[in-house]
Amino acid sequence: MGIKYLFVPRATLMYPEVSMDLCCNYRGMLKWYDDRCISCTMCARICPSGAIKMYKTDAKKYPGINYQRCIFCGYCRDICPVNALEFRPVHDKAYYSLDEQMQKPMEFVKGPPVEEEIKKVKPVFDEKRGLKYDSA
Amino acid sequence: MSEPETVELLIGPQHPGSGHMRLVAEVDGDIIIKFEPNIGYVHRAVEKIAETKTYLQVIPLVERPALADASNHNLGYILALEKLLDVEIPPRAQYLRMLLCEINRIHSHLYGLGIFGNMIGSSTMFEWAFQDREPLLELSQQLTGARLTYTYIVPGGVRRNLPADFKNNILKVFSYLEKRFVDYNKLFVNNPVTIARLEGVGVISKTDAARIGIVGPNLRGSGVPYDVRKVEPYCAYNEIDFDLITEEAGDCYARLLVRREEMKQSIRIVRQILDKMPDGPYFADKYMKMVNPKMKELVDQSGVLRFPALFTALKPAKGTAISRVEASRGELFYYIVSDGSAQPYRLRMITPSFKNVAGYKAALIGQRLADVPAVYGSLDYFPPEADR
Amino acid sequence: MMDATATAVQIILAIWHFIISPEFFIPIVFPGLITVLVVLLGLIWFERKLTAKVQLRYGPYYIAKHVGGVIQLMADLMRYLFQEFIIPKDADKRVFVLAPIMLFTLTLLPVIAIPISSTFTAIHSDLTLLLVPTLATLAPLLVIIIGWSSNNKYSFIGSLREGYMIMSYEIPMFISVLAMAVAYNSLSLIQAVQKQTGIAWGLVINPLAAIAFFGALLMTSSRFPFDVSEAESEIVVGPYTEYSGIFFIFCLGAPYIKLYIYSLFFSLVFLGGWNPLVTPLTASPIINAILSGIVLLIKAGIVMAVAVYMRTIFGRFRIDQVLKLGWHKLFALSILAVILSLVLVGLGVL
Repeated sequence: MGIKYLFVPRATLMYPEVSMDLCCNYRGMLKWYDDRCISCTMCARICPSGAIKMYKTDAKKYPGINYQRCIFCGYCRDICPVNALEFRPVHDKAYYSLDEQMQKPMEFVKGPPVEEEIKKVKPVFDEKRGLKYDSA
Repeated sequence: MSEPETVELLIGPQHPGSGHMRLVAEVDGDIIIKFEPNIGYVHRAVEKIAETKTYLQVIPLVERPALADASNHNLGYILALEKLLDVEIPPRAQYLRMLLCEINRIHSHLYGLGIFGNMIGSSTMFEWAFQDREPLLELSQQLTGARLTYTYIVPGGVRRNLPADFKNNILKVFSYLEKRFVDYNKLFVNNPVTIARLEGVGVISKTDAARIGIVGPNLRGSGVPYDVRKVEPYCAYNEIDFDLITEEAGDCYARLLVRREEMKQSIRIVRQILDKMPDGPYFADKYMKMVNPKMKELVDQSGVLRFPALFTALKPAKGTAISRVEASRGELFYYIVSDGSAQPYRLRMITPSFKNVAGYKAALIGQRLADVPAVYGSLDYFPPEADR
Repeated sequence: MMDATATAVQIILAIWHFIISPEFFIPIVFPGLITVLVVLLGLIWFERKLTAKVQLRYGPYYIAKHVGGVIQLMADLMRYLFQEFIIPKDADKRVFVLAPIMLFTLTLLPVIAIPISSTFTAIHSDLTLLLVPTLATLAPLLVIIIGWSSNNKYSFIGSLREGYMIMSYEIPMFISVLAMAVAYNSLSLIQAVQKQTGIAWGLVINPLAAIAFFGALLMTSSRFPFDVSEAESEIVVGPYTEYSGIFFIFCLGAPYIKLYIYSLFFSLVFLGGWNPLVTPLTASPIINAILSGIVLLIKAGIVMAVAVYMRTIFGRFRIDQVLKLGWHKLFALSILAVILSLVLVGLGVL
């Protein structure tokens, strides 16, 4: 019976060379829009792990994020009353030092970088194989 | 010269056959005489941390111990909280909650079968079961936005609406899974090695099972027909039609069969949920009124919820509340004591794996040493869930 | 000047004759040391790739991408060479260090008795059919010594299990060899192959003995489902728990070498030896030797591939179930095989 499986294609996604195209509404890393923010500090208050902290710049307070603590739960985006936080479909940025992970508002506004060279595939549901990966 | 010598074996945390927990076995030749599980290796004080966080912040905390069925734990906590909050849940939200919980049940049983296969030695079963989790993870991602740690259920309803072509996708995945179950039967369940290894091993009789208090598929594998979804239906389980699976033998093989049949019943439940899903809002009106009107337009357009500002400091009424939920591994019990402030005064969660620890002693005394992994896999014990 | 080159050429020719003489070639080059190392590399790679394909994943992939990761084992070997070798304080030091080395080399010993063709043998004796299994039984004793010298409860249990298993698989193996010796009416491997060329393969003559021997082959080389003494989830790695570094490779390579030796033996006794089907190859002795060697290796390869494939399907038995299987089923089968051989010889078929 195992012989049948010698002819079925493999199910692994070869990750560093090929990356999955994440669909919309994926809870990845965040991008903050500073022109919409009203400094209500609700995002910092609701964060379960204390990843968002308010930094005082000039007269107003702006949020910065610590990606070491972020658990990607999405509460901050859901509670923001002016829709100033947005998810980006990036989940795998590696940092070399702790300082880079604690982003002050100046870097938070830039959002996470997007890798261009990786081949992206989209997962498609299929009856015979469960999940197939087609090129996006 | 003739005194019996027993060897004390520490099947400790760093052992390929024991998960991350400590088991102390005293072995005479090959027969186990005394057996003591020594839990607490991965204790992280979840209940104590919960006393320092607000009610909404406790949700990710509470769903992390049992990773494979995170939303069952989430649901138990929210059901207890909603008794204190006095809020009306719309029926569509109840059906969506049940949908995610049943998907999690299939996921958790696949995980348990995979670990079971690994303990017996059949690494093919392990790889196949873990690969078949992948379509389920992808489905959960389309529904909630995250692959494994959902935080989908909030007090008042759920966080997202059903996406557009979800029903087609899920039906495709189910027909794929049903074909795979046939293969699992051929490879693992009907394999003569598996049957020889598991039949008659680790028997827990009916009276013993009811007396020592093991729960979940272990209890049903010993012939006791108890399932919280039938006894005390929560959400909308009394409107859904499904069977209660029991097996009479009480050995490891019976528990394996119970889990396999429960996966099929979960597929049946999800099909009924998708057919019967009512239309309407997916979040309670009482809190929806408090959302900013600009945000409300966005909510209606995109199908993704925005929270009202009240959620940063939700203050339920003073008092205590309990709730019982059927998680994949057994019955889960929550107890919240609130003193009117924004943080819970006491949160107590009794997880099913904690209750299943008593099953080790009843099942393993008098068995051979080689049965320890078999019984471990069949009880589907998950150390982080038991140690919280 | 001319004398110097002439003597140099003579020396080189003498060395060349020495190398291709059977007494040197068989134990060192052909089914001997160098081939064993190459086969070990290929066999472990093949096992990992095959189980990976059945389990719908890639096996060794990154090391030599174009050939599919064949030299993965070389990379593992280099890593283990540089790893620190830890000797436990309470272990019996001399035995702890010597036993794996002896294990690795002594499992290679039966190869001297294996003939490649009817004229190319290392030992010219009439008893080679008996010699190969006899020399191969030295190895399991060393496994028991390894387990005892590690001073670790788990190794001790593992070596006890190996001891039990030795009793239960050696006896069916010898009795099925006896059955085949009765069928071929001699104790020499060369005559066994020549008998098979006339009539049919040993598999067809006495299938019961073939099944019993194949079962014993799986047990001795610790292939699934009889993986009991090593690499299991109850006893960490069995008798070899305390070893690290290059000795780990020695210990885990030994069952594969046993598998190789026994599959060469199986293909000589049951699968027609060095002849392609049932007709003999006739050509000059050197070409005969080369072609026969290649055919023998291919047949041994088929046996090894089947033995390795069992890993994907089966789980692992418990020790008492293995013993029961060995004593009840295999022992009974091998006795029946002897009776079948006696009947066939008595009827004049052979």
